[in-house]
Amino acid sequence: MRLEVKEIRKSFGEKEVLHGVSFQVDSGSALGLLGRNGAGKTTTIRILMDVFHADSGEICLDGRKFVPSKQQIGYLPEERGLYPKRTVMDQMLYLAALRGMKSTDAKKSAEKWLARLEVSEYASRKLETLSKGNQQKVQLAATLVCDPEIVILDEPFSGLDPVNSQILKDVVNELIAGGKLVIFSSHQMSYVEEFCDNIAVIDHGQVVLAGELKEIKKEYGKNRLMLAAENYSLEQLAEKTEREWSNLVSVSGRKKEFLILELKEGADRRGFMEKLVDSDVTVEKFGRYEPSLNDIFVSKVGEEE
Amino acid sequence: MRKFITVLKFELKEYLGNKTFMVLTAILAILGVALLFLPRFVDMSGMTGVTVVGGGSAETETTPEEEQELFLYLDKAGVVQTDILEQIFPEAEWQTAADETEIRTAVEAQEAKAGFVVTAPAEYEYYVFNKTMSDQNTARFDQAMKIFYRMDYCAKSGWNLEEITAMYDVPVTVTENVLNKDTESNYWYSYFLIILVFMLIVYYGQMIAVSVTNEKSNRAIEVLVTSTSPNSLLFGKVIAGAIAGVFQMGVLLGAVLIAYQVNREQWGGMLDRILYIPGDVLLAFAFFGLGGYLFYAFLYGAMGALVSKTEDISKSVSGLMVVIMAVYFFSLLQLTNIDGSVIKILSFLPISSYSTMFARIAMGTVAAWEIIVSFLILVVSIGAAGIVGAKIYRMGTLRYGNPIKITTALKALKKNA
Repeated sequence: MRLEVKEIRKSFGEKEVLHGVSFQVDSGSALGLLGRNGAGKTTTIRILMDVFHADSGEICLDGRKFVPSKQQIGYLPEERGLYPKRTVMDQMLYLAALRGMKSTDAKKSAEKWLARLEVSEYASRKLETLSKGNQQKVQLAATLVCDPEIVILDEPFSGLDPVNSQILKDVVNELIAGGKLVIFSSHQMSYVEEFCDNIAVIDHGQVVLAGELKEIKKEYGKNRLMLAAENYSLEQLAEKTEREWSNLVSVSGRKKEFLILELKEGADRRGFMEKLVDSDVTVEKFGRYEPSLNDIFVSKVGEEE
Repeated sequence: MRKFITVLKFELKEYLGNKTFMVLTAILAILGVALLFLPRFVDMSGMTGVTVVGGGSAETETTPEEEQELFLYLDKAGVVQTDILEQIFPEAEWQTAADETEIRTAVEAQEAKAGFVVTAPAEYEYYVFNKTMSDQNTARFDQAMKIFYRMDYCAKSGWNLEEITAMYDVPVTVTENVLNKDTESNYWYSYFLIILVFMLIVYYGQMIAVSVTNEKSNRAIEVLVTSTSPNSLLFGKVIAGAIAGVFQMGVLLGAVLIAYQVNREQWGGMLDRILYIPGDVLLAFAFFGLGGYLFYAFLYGAMGALVSKTEDISKSVSGLMVVIMAVYFFSLLQLTNIDGSVIKILSFLPISSYSTMFARIAMGTVAAWEIIVSFLILVVSIGAAGIVGAKIYRMGTLRYGNPIKITTALKALKKNA
């Protein structure tokens, strides 16, 4: 199953907020939708879910027009909430029934997901009596109760503590392994990095970077090296680099434990390595630099979130 | 349809599973029934004119002697006849006073209820400690004085008072044959039922609006509108609210009507004009009242979708309330002119037919085709209100923040049409 979003445009009043957003995602993989606040992630997801209508563009599933009501979709919206005065099980069964499940299947599925998310003991409790984290887990269970083929999670990790985040991470990994098509947006790059094969970075309503994460990282790491020395501090090493090897590399960044160097045009890694060996530097760390998703994100959309 | 049923069941459970709702229904029904059974156990003869004897059978009231109140009089004109006073004041024990001071002293000490000093055949003074709003003593004593005057005048003129009285007050026997509607007797229960449906619309309409707004305020709405159609959601929600309202009102009205039937004799038929409602009138009320209620319930649902905080609901429904109030007052005012052209027009409009057509059926002259046409207009309008309401509900989804004006909502619907 392949979901393709093609050239989606959307305006609110006079202001166009999406300027031709495109990306695609396949079953058994996850797409991370990244962007700063107000970049257009949630609007894109809402258009996917038919909450808003796009002004132009199309969404296709296996080449045909995508109609959300005809698919079993597990959708966890950014603005989420359920019925605080109703019991957990009541609303799980209600949402499952609304998505077309039979009551016996719904009950089994609800029990399964509540157990998987470790909130079974609250099944007969009113939602309002649960902690925020447990409410969040119930909401996720309600999202998955219909055994969806497509799972769309908008900021699923917000409000979760590290333990609950780990449970959610495991669940998302299971969904991907189970062949589900997963789309999720997040500000937390580490999560996206962990399970997304593909990313789409949206900035000011347009996709500024999209593709396979591995390839993107490779591309962003191209001609970049990391260097740390035992006998030089990072500051001293940076000065030495500028002073002695400026014809080969420039300092493009600094991490806590190493410098990030960029090879200049015509220079190569082997040549620089030879210079290093000839110098008095005792190398502690040297190699190709692979940027984190956060680095890529910041370099693409500006200052860090 | 299946999803509509799912929403309906879920929403209905919200009402019927709500302990407060059920307990309130039970308490109100028990209170209503208890009130109507009261004359069986408590002497309410002062109000009903009926005293209950032994096992609960009713008898016309006679005031026991020990409960009689003392009234004093001083007859300076020599016209007073105590037996006449006793007939006009059956609850009073009459005694003559020696002078005005005795009357004043006894009334001031509240030993006597009141006192009268007759100074001339058509002139008297009245003494009372506290004059209440319902004090009828002077009116009744006026009546007695007129009789004394006539008796005195006839005696002086040598006329026979009984003959003259018989001539003036000749009893007329009438046998009424009302061939269509008895407006007078139907007036009060029509009035009562119009108030009832008005309360039903306002009270439950507000509850429906709150229920819709709550889904926005607790952010459940986005999950819901992506799980099923807004039509299923709004229709399920509104019809569940309507069923809950009809259930509660039905239990109350049913309990009260049955309790009154059982105790009608004990009440001396006193509440007939409100609670002794003919079956055909109740049937008309059921159809038109329920229709009007559903019509407004959908509009309330739509108004609820225009705001995202329950405290903004009153602002959102204010326009609707003006219409409902206007219809309510017009309907009540027009009850006295039941076959007038204003009420005829109102009885075909869906905003007002729920009360005016029902009132015309109960009290006026109305052709069968008029009832059918009016009801069809109402049914079509309910459907239209439901569809427009669902569109507004859908449009209002995710529009958080300031309340949306109905004009803005309608413009947005027109733009998206």
